[in-house]
Amino acid sequence: MDMNEIREIFFQECEEQLAELETGLLKLNDGDRDPETVNAVFRAVHSIKGGAGAFALDDLVAFAHVFETTLDCVRSGKLEPSQDVLKVMLKSADVLADLTNAARDGGTVDESRSRALVKELEALANGEQPAAHAAPEPVAAKPAVAAAPAPTDSSGFQPIPFSFDDFGGEEEEVLMVAPTYTVTFKPRAELFSKGNEAALLLRDLSRIGEMSIHCHTGDVPTLDRMDPEGSYLSWTISIKTEKGEEGIRSVFEFAEWDCELDIKLAEEAEADDERPMIPVPFDLSLLEDEPAIGDEPHVGMHVEPVVAAAVAAAETATGVMQAAAAASARAEKKEAPAASAAAQANAANAANAAGQTIRVDLDRVDRLINLVGELVINQAMLSQSVIENDNNGTSSINMGLEELQQLTREIQDSVMAIRAQPVKPVFQRMARTVREIADITGKSVRLITEGENTEVDKTVIDKLAEPLTHMIRNAVDHGLEMPEKRIAAGKNPEGTVRLTAKHRSGRIVIELTDDGAGINREKVRQKAIDNDLITADANLSDEEIDNLIFHAGFSTADKVSDLSGRGVGMDVVKRSIQALGGRISIQSKPGQGSTFSMSLPLTLAVLDGMVVTVAGQTLVVPLTAIVETLQPEAAAIHSFGATQRLISIRNSFCPLVDVGRILNFRAQQANPVEGVALLVESEGGGQRALMVDAIQGQRQVVIKSLEANYMHVPGIAAATILGDGRVALILDVDAVVGASRGQSLRQEMSLAS
Amino acid sequence: MAGKKSEQSLKLAAVLDLNAASVLHGKLQSLRGSDITVDASAVERCGTQCVQVLVAGAKAWEADKKTFTIGPMSGAFEQTMQLIGVNFEQILSKEIAQ
Amino acid sequence: MKKKVLTVDDSRTIRNMLLVTLNNAGFETIQAEDGVEGLEVLEECNPDVIVTDINMPRLDGFGFIEGVRRNEKYRAIPILVLTTESDAEKKNRARQAGATGWIVKPFDPTKLVDAIERVTA
Repeated sequence: MDMNEIREIFFQECEEQLAELETGLLKLNDGDRDPETVNAVFRAVHSIKGGAGAFALDDLVAFAHVFETTLDCVRSGKLEPSQDVLKVMLKSADVLADLTNAARDGGTVDESRSRALVKELEALANGEQPAAHAAPEPVAAKPAVAAAPAPTDSSGFQPIPFSFDDFGGEEEEVLMVAPTYTVTFKPRAELFSKGNEAALLLRDLSRIGEMSIHCHTGDVPTLDRMDPEGSYLSWTISIKTEKGEEGIRSVFEFAEWDCELDIKLAEEAEADDERPMIPVPFDLSLLEDEPAIGDEPHVGMHVEPVVAAAVAAAETATGVMQAAAAASARAEKKEAPAASAAAQANAANAANAAGQTIRVDLDRVDRLINLVGELVINQAMLSQSVIENDNNGTSSINMGLEELQQLTREIQDSVMAIRAQPVKPVFQRMARTVREIADITGKSVRLITEGENTEVDKTVIDKLAEPLTHMIRNAVDHGLEMPEKRIAAGKNPEGTVRLTAKHRSGRIVIELTDDGAGINREKVRQKAIDNDLITADANLSDEEIDNLIFHAGFSTADKVSDLSGRGVGMDVVKRSIQALGGRISIQSKPGQGSTFSMSLPLTLAVLDGMVVTVAGQTLVVPLTAIVETLQPEAAAIHSFGATQRLISIRNSFCPLVDVGRILNFRAQQANPVEGVALLVESEGGGQRALMVDAIQGQRQVVIKSLEANYMHVPGIAAATILGDGRVALILDVDAVVGASRGQSLRQEMSLAS
Repeated sequence: MAGKKSEQSLKLAAVLDLNAASVLHGKLQSLRGSDITVDASAVERCGTQCVQVLVAGAKAWEADKKTFTIGPMSGAFEQTMQLIGVNFEQILSKEIAQ
Repeated sequence: MKKKVLTVDDSRTIRNMLLVTLNNAGFETIQAEDGVEGLEVLEECNPDVIVTDINMPRLDGFGFIEGVRRNEKYRAIPILVLTTESDAEKKNRARQAGATGWIVKPFDPTKLVDAIERVTA
């Protein structure tokens, strides 16, 4: 792992943290006062700041810092997270997201916006305190730093050498001029209970200079009266160091609260104290090593209480020499093993750290998916040729092939699952869209999201953002009323937009509901008449009127607002959803609001389809569109107008759609009795009976884009390769049904372009 | 005079940290009254608080007029004593001087 | 023998940085994602030193330190807290909870290794 990889991880984590942040802020906005929610929000910003600091992303750090400070006030109860406060925070979350993106991808952020927010945040945090104090630096007057940290930044991650050689070298030069300090050090028991150790502190002290030490043992009580975890020893140390008092203090940095420490510059000619100072060798390996091999325990000092005194001094001196020699020898030996140990540690820990996820380049996954697609086709072709050449259906080859088919399918499902991602990030982006549009329109809007963890293919997710953004804009801009109007209608002045996702029968269904005024059908109808979309006397159901808004160039707003002025209509939304193999429909209740529902395939790579024959051509109808299949009887067919026919199914009438005619596969209408009807659900929720000549069977097909390989063909969604190697076209059911309503396929195409 | 009942030996643990201090203290208490040899040959890490207990022990044995011997010593033990300036001979001799 | 470091941090970024830094410095590194996991892992790995963050879900750094210090077997382990420069108050609280020392974030690998060396034998 190198710095760039960690940086990647950082940005990934930022995304998660930004999502957490937003979720938490929205919860707070809903009145959630769980301290854990506040903590989670705080942590998210804190975590981004921490990582950003490590990568020297100063703009990000600066803004996160101010944000964090304000959040800390909320956390400590100093600031009540009112709606107004949360409004600022949500906007800050957006800016934080922008800064993160700018740091990753380059580009700049709207400085005036972030600067204004920094001021607001500071005001919230400080109240009357001067604003300048809180932030180390207001957000960047300079453009956001985008580039990756200079390569030199990663130099900090080079192995830390164990050698203190250069250290020692300096020391020798310094000895001549270094002043001598007298340090008295008396630890308290807390020093030890917090995991500090006087011996280690003294070891570190010995590393910054030439040191002699005297230990005061006089305070040690008698054995039966002592607390083994008390603190009774104290020291007087004489140290000659160039590091000064500052250097000495820094050794005791972690301990200074838990000890008495006194540092004085020693008198030039210090009267030789009565206490014998023991010189401590400049010995760095001391205490670090286990007893080295061959380092035999020294012969003990057997001390006879009365006679020992005289011998003691001499013995101490030898002891010192031996210890010093042994220690320095060990210091030399140490380096080589340390290096190889580090290498081993790397290998071992790399394995440990692998954890539960791996990151894989998307291209590799796609390549795998493509190959599996080919495998599926190949397997199907193989099956086919075996069946054709073998009339014994129970042969072992057939059994094996069935297993192969099963396996192929499982592999395919598993590979597809690799690409599956929760819709959460897209939903999260929508929250921001809602805020922005609410600001622009002056409406008060609350976004509620559900089912954010519903998973769908990454491609679908990526392509979902744009139509969804437009729909949300539309819902707030056109759907929701102004607060006054809502109050007048007896509604909550704050409008609600609900965005939900769920899995339903192998597809993902995304619904967008607003509690606005609903579709003004009279207006829509009038507009459709004005635009020649329908005739003035057309008799349309409510559902059909509602669906008119998906027609090209249709806009219900009297004036083109700032938002819809961007030139996208609901027809474009519908097109994008269809391009994803999805369907979109609308339900609306006047005065109560509208619901748009989109049903999308979980993957864009494969499709369960029914293979049918129409006028000698092989077509694939997506299985998800088919409600049932039936064999029409002559008695059930009713003609209607010049060309329209209906089929009666269980006491209701359903328009017959002649697929062969609509696709111009044949010039004449087919005879329904000779074919099969596929009952399909079209986007408006209405049912149609698609007439085909025969059903060949059901199978999973690998989707090959026609647009990518040829060009868009009206009424056709894509192509595939069948088991026998033939190319089959995949029917665009909605387009065909739409065409049967009277719009020709060509016309629809020209409208869309 | 090995095996004589009044001569005891105490082998110190490898890690003499905070947790070991109370244990060591208890052991020493139980060995009062006879000459003692503290075996420090296996010590890998010696914390200040265990040193304190040993110092208190040396003083106690001194007061009991029994011999308190430290040895043999591991390098780590010896180095720690060196580093923190604890010298058992001195402690013992000082007690006597007083 | 390699020193064993237990790191407790909820940020994947920081965990990875700690891992790289510590491995490069020749330590054996064990990682936990929050205080609760930290206390669980502690029982299994018996580290020589612990490096912990303060702001974490489930059990924060203060709670984690207190948990370690209450543990008869592991209470003597040095604990370093990852903190930010501005957090004097937090530093105090961490010390009161029983932290041995601290490392100021954004940590610099040298400082991190240095601090670990300082509190371990």
